[in-house]
Amino acid sequence: MAIPERRWIGAAAVLLALAVAGDAPAAREPQPERPVIRISAERFSFTPSRITLAVGDEVEIRIASQDTAHGFRIVGSETEIVVPKRGSGDASVIFRAEKAGRLTFECNRMCGAGHNFMRGEIVVEPRGGPGR
Amino acid sequence: MPVTMAVLAAVASTPLAAQTSQTGPISGYMDFHVNKRQFEDPVIDFHRFVLLFSHSFSEHIRFTGEIELEHAFVEGLEKAGELELEQAYIDFLISRRFNVRAGMMLVPIGIINERHEPPVYNGVERPFVDTVIVPTTWFESGAGVHGELGTGWRYRAFVMAPLDAAEFSAEEGLRGGRQKGSEAVVHRPSLTGRVEYVGLRGLQAGAGFWTGAANVSFRRLTSAVRVAEVDARYHRDRLELRGQYAHVFIRDAAGLNDAVERTSGVSPNVASQLRGFYGEAAYRIWNRGAPRDLVVFARYENFDTQFRMPAGAVPLTEFDRNAWVTGITYFPDPDIAVKVDYTRVGNASAIVRPQHQLNLGLGWWF
Repeated sequence: MAIPERRWIGAAAVLLALAVAGDAPAAREPQPERPVIRISAERFSFTPSRITLAVGDEVEIRIASQDTAHGFRIVGSETEIVVPKRGSGDASVIFRAEKAGRLTFECNRMCGAGHNFMRGEIVVEPRGGPGR
Repeated sequence: MPVTMAVLAAVASTPLAAQTSQTGPISGYMDFHVNKRQFEDPVIDFHRFVLLFSHSFSEHIRFTGEIELEHAFVEGLEKAGELELEQAYIDFLISRRFNVRAGMMLVPIGIINERHEPPVYNGVERPFVDTVIVPTTWFESGAGVHGELGTGWRYRAFVMAPLDAAEFSAEEGLRGGRQKGSEAVVHRPSLTGRVEYVGLRGLQAGAGFWTGAANVSFRRLTSAVRVAEVDARYHRDRLELRGQYAHVFIRDAAGLNDAVERTSGVSPNVASQLRGFYGEAAYRIWNRGAPRDLVVFARYENFDTQFRMPAGAVPLTEFDRNAWVTGITYFPDPDIAVKVDYTRVGNASAIVRPQHQLNLGLGWWF
């Protein structure tokens, strides 16, 4: 006998709540604010096009388009979102720098003749390394 | 669970409208116009129907193609329309600093040549400077490199097939000389490049060049072309400013005019220097946070395809031109532009009367 649809919805809601609750601090202390890095997406560039972090940093990358819808994808990861058209809101990605290295991000949604120029870089430096 | 938080945060912040908006393997842009020239009947023209294709062979090897149909159909004569392969290249994406591109590419000169989707510029027609000084859309076969250094400094440098000076004209400068990658003769390749800065939010500034021989048809001539160009765009809040300056140098224009006259009976009266510049201000007067926008703009252009003449040649003063283009662009959606403009043109001629123009246009990108 098929499980009623509302039970699937209920199960998903429970899983979602558990996922969120699992990250809530047990003592319900206020979470430190996560730094926000704002990126402007516009044919055909991201500004800034380079983000420098230290290992262990966790940031919110918030992207806003100045024109059409763009994509934001971190190459080599599963992070891939749509940046809405101008006036339709921002897109956000929570990024945690797990290890030192360089990651490329790019627009993965055709936006015009110069689409392939829309790329950037996340540089993760060792904590206490150059400049830190 | 940082990965889950990343996914949840990404999905939660992306509005539903964007989640349901999909781009398939084909993108493109189109525009059609109604042009009413002074003293003439209106003309309705489906000016451009352009399709773009892309394919990723791997993370590091990608194909981009662009086909354009102008003026609705082609029947063998250019006046009836054009079907052109504007882009067809492979990108080898090696690193942020260095990448290789080969195939049919856009020449990296000017604001419009690489960035000409209809919602991206004001005015029904592209700027005059980007038509008769920088022969947009200027594309050619070749290969080269591109990348970004530091934060916001980008470059591209390509070796391409040259222009053919035998097709230059007094009215449209270099425009007829584009070989467009169609069995292009490469007696000597040309070099083109651009450096631009996009590291400051709202600012894009750059400089481009082209240099190379242009004696494809007349080998005994020393015809050569150099183009130098600078441009900038800046926007903040509701205001956007843009400007461009382009200067063309044609070596041995006198020899070119003589050679063409000897073979056709008519001298093309090609100049030894062409010059053009423009400045534009636009203001977003309806900016209530919704996707709809209303922009008013004004642009002044000065474009002279007879700026300096070779010894013994007389400039045709009707081609020393200027224009005021004023109008409105309404965006019911950021990818759709409804345009109205009035173009008031002037020239230095005491004989040829300039024709002002009222233009209506609808353009879109998808």
